[in-house]
Amino acid sequence: MERMKKQNGTEDIPLFISRSNITTEINKTGSWRFARPKYDEKTSPCSAACPAGEDIARIQMLANQESFKEAVHTILIENPFPAVCGRVCFHPCETACNRTGFDEPIAIRCLERFLGDFAIQESMKLPPEKLPENGKSVCIVGAGPAGLAAGYFLTRLGYSCHIFEASSEPGGILRWGIPEYRLPVKILAREIERIKDFGVKINCNVPMSQNFLKETKSRYDAFFIACGYSRSMQMNIPGDQAASDGLEFLRHMRREEITPLTGTAAVVGGGNTAVDIARSLVRLGLNPIIVYRRRKQDMPAFKHEVEMARKEGVKILELFAPIQIEKTGGACFLTLQQMKISGAETSGGRAVVVPDGRVTQLRRVDHVFTAIGAEPTEPWQFPPEQGPETLHLGHCTFAHRDRPLMFGGDLTNPIKSVTDAIASGKQAAMALDAFFKKGWDANADRLAPYRVGSGPALSMESYLKGEHTSRNRHIVSYEEINTDYFSTAARVLSASLAVDESVHSFLETEETYTFDQAVEETYRCFKCGICDSCNNCRIFCPEVAVVFKDSRRVIDLNYCKGCGICVVECPRNAMALEMEI
Amino acid sequence: MEDCQIMLQQKISDKDYMYPGHVACPGCGAAIAMRFALKALGEKTMMVIPACCWGVIAGPYPQTSLKVPILHTAFATAGATASGLRAALDMKEDTETTVVAWAGDGGTFDIGIQALSGAVERNEDFIYVCYDNEAYMNTGVQRSSATPFGSRTTTTPGKDWKRSRKKNITEILAAHRIPYAATASIAFPEDMIQKFNVAKQLKGGTRFLHVFASCPTGWRIPTEISVKIARLAVQTNVFPLYEIKNGIDYRLNYKGDRPVTDYLKVQGRFKHLTDDDIKQIQDMVDEDWELLRRKMENNLVT
Ligand SMILES: Cc1ncc(C[n+]2csc(CCOP(=O)(O)OP(=O)(O)O)c2C)c(N)n1
Ligand code: SF4
Ligand SMILES: [Mg+2]
Repeated sequence: MERMKKQNGTEDIPLFISRSNITTEINKTGSWRFARPKYDEKTSPCSAACPAGEDIARIQMLANQESFKEAVHTILIENPFPAVCGRVCFHPCETACNRTGFDEPIAIRCLERFLGDFAIQESMKLPPEKLPENGKSVCIVGAGPAGLAAGYFLTRLGYSCHIFEASSEPGGILRWGIPEYRLPVKILAREIERIKDFGVKINCNVPMSQNFLKETKSRYDAFFIACGYSRSMQMNIPGDQAASDGLEFLRHMRREEITPLTGTAAVVGGGNTAVDIARSLVRLGLNPIIVYRRRKQDMPAFKHEVEMARKEGVKILELFAPIQIEKTGGACFLTLQQMKISGAETSGGRAVVVPDGRVTQLRRVDHVFTAIGAEPTEPWQFPPEQGPETLHLGHCTFAHRDRPLMFGGDLTNPIKSVTDAIASGKQAAMALDAFFKKGWDANADRLAPYRVGSGPALSMESYLKGEHTSRNRHIVSYEEINTDYFSTAARVLSASLAVDESVHSFLETEETYTFDQAVEETYRCFKCGICDSCNNCRIFCPEVAVVFKDSRRVIDLNYCKGCGICVVECPRNAMALEMEI
Repeated sequence: MEDCQIMLQQKISDKDYMYPGHVACPGCGAAIAMRFALKALGEKTMMVIPACCWGVIAGPYPQTSLKVPILHTAFATAGATASGLRAALDMKEDTETTVVAWAGDGGTFDIGIQALSGAVERNEDFIYVCYDNEAYMNTGVQRSSATPFGSRTTTTPGKDWKRSRKKNITEILAAHRIPYAATASIAFPEDMIQKFNVAKQLKGGTRFLHVFASCPTGWRIPTEISVKIARLAVQTNVFPLYEIKNGIDYRLNYKGDRPVTDYLKVQGRFKHLTDDDIKQIQDMVDEDWELLRRKMENNLVT
């Protein structure tokens, strides 16, 4: 070849170097593969443990991205009461949280409260998605959390709902049974207002009776009975008329109709009502003591509440049961029987107690309050045990008489909590809708496709979409989290009133997270089982085979060799590797 | 000592300078290494690749798997070829293009070390990357001087597993007092990309990057844990992440706290090791770590 002399005296030497002219893209290395990765979102243990089936991992993710409105929306689809539950829920989600295996559970309840308050502040409405109106109407008895939730969910499903309430205002236990320092009336009112705006009609001051049901029967296609347990149980001991009804006391307080009290008080019982009464008494300036027949650790009240009560000066006398009250002068003399443990209800469960011989104690107090449980007021409120067409679902009872008759809330729930009441409203709504659409015979399993994890919580979101849930029901375990992507961090604590302040007022003891606190805590969340777009699958792919299509990640199976790195490097188990052939 | 945050917090560029369809084994750490490197280096890069797995991954003629030019060269010559390429670009007054020599551990620790040392002593203006898979993988897993104590290879088989220590290449390079020498791992993308960015900026002299790149085939590990193993090497201090500026200014990027057995027990190449052997390796790792820590403490530059 001829060499070309340049003017500066140098020569261009032809380089006989072979040069590539095509890319490796013609090699479809996907043919090497025998295992195939896929995006496979799974269920987080918190969601599965939430009676309302809230999509907690996604809510955490959205809040983390500061998409608070979307986060609120995601809650509201499953639960119309985030500001309430963010205050009073006993948060079984936190007990189930995978983060416990790493350091401390995520403060899920605190985030819910933050989002609930955010929604109120922003005057957010309930998400508008509704099924078309179907012309059917449902009568709901009781405007407590179960009745309100049923009204809300049924309205979403296209029903017209009338709630009837015997008392002067809606809310049930939320309105009349929980003290202001735990749940301000203002907050409750805003969340109920939102449900009314959504189209649920609430009629108060309507005394409920069997007659009422008979008379209204023809006007409604179905009934949902959720009037709760509003009558306190009696101690049935000599002199028990000297004791005040604890629930009644709480009701008076909520009405701000309390006559000034002083001195000492004994509160008999170990549940949340007993603790609510005792803590309220402290605020009124009394010295209360809780008298409980079993051990402290057997108290059904939430641990946190018991702890707060103790901090505020409430004494707890365990293993004593009242056997007699004598009222002399202004004082009550309480004879207390010492109890002893005779066994356990289950292994590690509550103690079973029996009187310990003749050991008794005499205690002088100025007041006695009972909080040993409650029951329905009238026989018609009891759900039928069995019958030809009676179905016990996890959270409600469905009796098909001449028209569907459903029972929910405390009347049927094994766990008597606000969130379980909401769950029962949702379950009743979905079961009723499934009944009207598919008939009685398609029963029990008809809601199975909408379960969160293994149930009993149900997802209204998937029910509305009519999808047989896109979420894999497998519940992500701690071992399935790639903890290399997380570092330990202390749980963000919400500010709270100092004890010496809290005991003098009915102001809320706990404050709502600030914006920064809310976001900070969501960083701790693993977001078990859901894709939060961390991009690890794409970053680590040796094959450049994870590509964006319509701003979604997809695996290009033309090239993916199935190494599985994406699946292992996914921090939160939102992928899976499947064998091919 | 700053602990380098392992979580991916910085946004990593979505731009890729590598094509799919290359023929690296499934799970190849060296393929991941190239993806990360080019994310930092960008389009204006020329690669010099001697004989090694990457010589094949880059594509059989007439294919290429990279969007930047590659000069394939002889096994021993990466350092010399990169020097020549740099000289040619300088003559063309192209100061923008980054010249990168990309060689395996065999091509760096063993056969290529004279060309490399020569170039580095002249402080040639290029980045030299050794992707270290700790053996001659392309020719069937023969031991190199990068193969760690305890490892089985096809030339250190059975009971004759390798009894000598891994050569400390980063220290050798630092001893040449080059502007920048650093270790990096495919399990720490942000750290690695950051180091390639630093190297790219420090024009005018030789920058050396020792990149730990797992090899499922040669190490006898399941492909899916390829990155996890690379991470364990750092978490156990078997492969510490650190940087040295001008041969004297040491900076440690991550402090591992896990026992070496976590790293060893999951790999086929170490399966035969007894508890005593593992103890011996732990002692070596602790000793190396202590040495490194002292160098850090005695930093001449503050
Ligand atoms: C002078 C010379 N000797 C031997 C070979 C054969 N050969 C090609 S690649 C290779 C091993 C390379 O090992 P390493 O540098 O560690 O890269 P790896 O293949 O492990 O990626 C050998 C020995 C060669 N190409 N040239
Ligand atoms: S032998 Fe190892 S380094 Fe070479 S292509 Fe395969 S996995 Fe990558
Ligand atoms: Mg090698």
